Amino acid sequence: MTDPRARHQAFEKVWGNLPGFGTLAAVNHTSIGLRFMVTGMLFFLVGGLLAMLVRTQLALPEQEIIGPEAYNQFFTMHGTVMMFLFAIPVLEGLALYMIPKMIGARDLVFPRISSLGYYCYLFGGLIILSSLFLGIAPDSGWFMYTPLSSAEYAPGPGSDFWLLGITFVEISAMAAGIELTVSILRSRAPGMTLTRMPIFCWYILAMALMIIFGFPPLILGSILLELERAAGWPFFEVAGGGDPLLWQHLFWLFGHPEVYILFLPAAGIVSTLIPVFARRPLVGYRWIVLSILLIGFISFGLWVHHMFTVGIPQLAQAFFSVASMLVAVPTAIQVFAWLATLWTGRVAFSLPMLWIFGFLIIFVCGGLTGVMLALVPFNWQVHDTHFVVAHLHYVLVGGMFFPLMAGLYYWLPHISGRMPSERLGYWGFWLTFIGFNATFLLMHLTGLLGMPRRVYTYEAGLGWDWLNLLSSVGGFIMSAGIALILMDLLLHFRFGKPASRNPWNADTLEWATNTPPSAYNFGSIPDIDSRHPLWDDPGLPDSIAAGDHHIPEIDHGRRELLGTDAIGARVREVMHIPTNSWWPLCAALGLALVCISLLVRVYPLALFGLVIAGIFLFRWSWENGAHPKAAPLGVNERTDPPLHSRTTDGPGRWGMIVTLMADATLYLSLLFGWFYLWTVSPDWRLPEETRLSTSGLMATGVLLTLTVFRYRRLTERLRAGQDSGLWPASVQTSVLALLHLGSLIWVIASAGLEPGALAHDAVLSVMLYYLLFHSLVATLASLLQSARIKLGYVSAHLPYEAIVLKPFWIYTLAIFWISYTAFLLLPLAWGGSP
Amino acid sequence: MIRRLWQPTHPVHTTLGLLLWALWFVVLYGGLSIVCAVAPPAAASGALTGLNGGLLLLTATVLALLAIMTWRCWRAGKAQAPGSSERFMARLGAGAHGVSALATLWIGLPVVVLPPCV
Repeated sequence: MTDPRARHQAFEKVWGNLPGFGTLAAVNHTSIGLRFMVTGMLFFLVGGLLAMLVRTQLALPEQEIIGPEAYNQFFTMHGTVMMFLFAIPVLEGLALYMIPKMIGARDLVFPRISSLGYYCYLFGGLIILSSLFLGIAPDSGWFMYTPLSSAEYAPGPGSDFWLLGITFVEISAMAAGIELTVSILRSRAPGMTLTRMPIFCWYILAMALMIIFGFPPLILGSILLELERAAGWPFFEVAGGGDPLLWQHLFWLFGHPEVYILFLPAAGIVSTLIPVFARRPLVGYRWIVLSILLIGFISFGLWVHHMFTVGIPQLAQAFFSVASMLVAVPTAIQVFAWLATLWTGRVAFSLPMLWIFGFLIIFVCGGLTGVMLALVPFNWQVHDTHFVVAHLHYVLVGGMFFPLMAGLYYWLPHISGRMPSERLGYWGFWLTFIGFNATFLLMHLTGLLGMPRRVYTYEAGLGWDWLNLLSSVGGFIMSAGIALILMDLLLHFRFGKPASRNPWNADTLEWATNTPPSAYNFGSIPDIDSRHPLWDDPGLPDSIAAGDHHIPEIDHGRRELLGTDAIGARVREVMHIPTNSWWPLCAALGLALVCISLLVRVYPLALFGLVIAGIFLFRWSWENGAHPKAAPLGVNERTDPPLHSRTTDGPGRWGMIVTLMADATLYLSLLFGWFYLWTVSPDWRLPEETRLSTSGLMATGVLLTLTVFRYRRLTERLRAGQDSGLWPASVQTSVLALLHLGSLIWVIASAGLEPGALAHDAVLSVMLYYLLFHSLVATLASLLQSARIKLGYVSAHLPYEAIVLKPFWIYTLAIFWISYTAFLLLPLAWGGSP
Repeated sequence: MIRRLWQPTHPVHTTLGLLLWALWFVVLYGGLSIVCAVAPPAAASGALTGLNGGLLLLTATVLALLAIMTWRCWRAGKAQAPGSSERFMARLGAGAHGVSALATLWIGLPVVVLPPCV
């Protein structure tokens, strides 16, 4: 097939979305990425409106326009919406849209997971937002400190909306984290080694891994706090043996890396744009990669600097103070590399560059006040004042919003095929820049003069009047700027000049696609031998479209990607990925039912929703591998490279391992909670007698060990190409797994724990249910494997699925014995009772 | 497999030093917190306590390990061809180990001057 039009139509038929309402079943990364970004921008407008209401109330002293109850809801929802429903999802959306195009792939490796993530985000966001319109929104601040957010001081459903809604939304972040990590590592174009990878991909890889390790502490914290509110399990209540500071630790273990999860992709935009507009390669590529790695790690060592006033020993504060100053070093490396690139280049002053300059000024100021706040005595002085509010807006708006706008203007021609208006764009920038600084530069002074944050009004004559008035005026100027940008954005779809191909003369592969891009991105996948493929070969887009490179064929009717190895990008397999699917939407609807049922506390309905969601998810997993809807075994199959489901190391195994890394972080957070309460909680108490049967648990552990060894043997035989006796072996594994599951349920049911009375029993119960969940999922998956072996979907030719499941079984075994040691044996050795 | 991972040109070395730093940081803060909760030294002893000594010893050990790893990666990088992927990774590994060592030194310094549990 050499006719370009016929090739395009054939590819579109395989890769395109379904028409009409069928578009809801879309899994394509371009569609999902755009949906994330558009939804995020709509939430941004809601968050912005709330900010304007807050500024209206604070414009003059002693105003009563908004009462304290509504004000508390508004500032809480402003922070929540901006952080969880705008900043993270928009950047995830950008990454989902951009990464496959930059690495020369046709899609992400787990497209249905992207779709599930989007629907969880959309439904979770709408659930949270509905609380605002019902007048019962959360009102304890966006970091929900206990006991203010606990049942005693926040008896309404506001905190529940936050805890359940945010946890629901976070499924999307986890999905994106897993999806992006595996896609970047395993589906880059041949020859695109790690050292030739576009710098943006390094940033997104770090962001994705930070999500994997950063979000689980908050997910655990939210589950624990919701359990305390709904069921009275006293994790954060001193009288029951808990400790409210545990929440602060869990929240900020997430919360501080979160700032860098937002900053890294934004800095990635800056590092991508500056070389294009300076018309030269980025100075210090290796230094920037080093600084990305440093930020990825050091940002996890700063969380206690949010807690300097809670009474932690000075030496511990010194550790975090120094670490907080240290994180400025990798950031400074990047700033100097950007300046050196601009200094040595021939800079073209276009609209995106204006936003980059705005970013540099504002973010550097925010970074400097960050170093000030890292100093403990200064931190104590301005704690909980408007100085902190000003600092965080300089960092987040400067470090995330300005680069995002630069990226928006830069990639707009890619998305729409049209150019934005320069004039409207300039006005939009300057109004935003001036308005932002008028609002927040002055707010530093308001804070230094002692105005606390989160007060709904203040007395006249304290020296804060004119500062607040000017901040409010600045806020409205900024809003006018954003309105102009929005107008520019909307008008350009109708009136924008058609963009030429690669209008900025960029070097990265996303500009080798059509603009707007086709559903399949690339008609063939090129070999890459430099960091600047389009500068080296401007004719590459044409040869890609003509099918001159890898996997140009489409007559097989499958969506195919090239799988390459993580370091050297050598071709290893052809990945066949799923087409449009309704299962993600169905599963997300099931989970939304769970979320709403828990909110209204109709628990049988929540259980029903959970079962429904589980059924949909397992049904989704059924359409994989050699299933007729995926890639059934053919007579003359390609073997060089083979299809991934015929191998033992495809993307699913990588996805499983990355998922387990997140899972392990959640488990470690639980272990941290256990040891924290044990050593620090002021009223930690042990039950009078041992309730949990250690011998019973030992017996169920032995059954689990036998199951895992049996399963491991099965996979080893598959790896060796032997499938005789596979089905009986699989049935034996499943029977052992069922015996283990049954005995675990018996141990838990007969333990007689009192989680409502003691934090000790509450943590122990969470641990037991965590083990039960893993054993249940592993057992169900093994039963499904048995059925698939019987149907011929798993065999010596198709070993893949069984090997994907193996790490999950091993993880289940590992957490069982670690829990047995840490939660049972250790307290016994210490002289207590489990 | 292990032998391949141990080569200083392997990409794993770009994060190994930082992982060691992170582990040290957790032990430093966690160890301090547990000892202060279970058996805090007398405040009058200032920084001259067994706890400070233990933390200092730990810091010095980690610092020495990171310094050795930095030198090893740097030396391996010099032996690779300029522009090669192996040289890139070895240099990156040297940088990551080196900065981890500096971070360990800097964050560990307060152990010398501050009392542990006040």
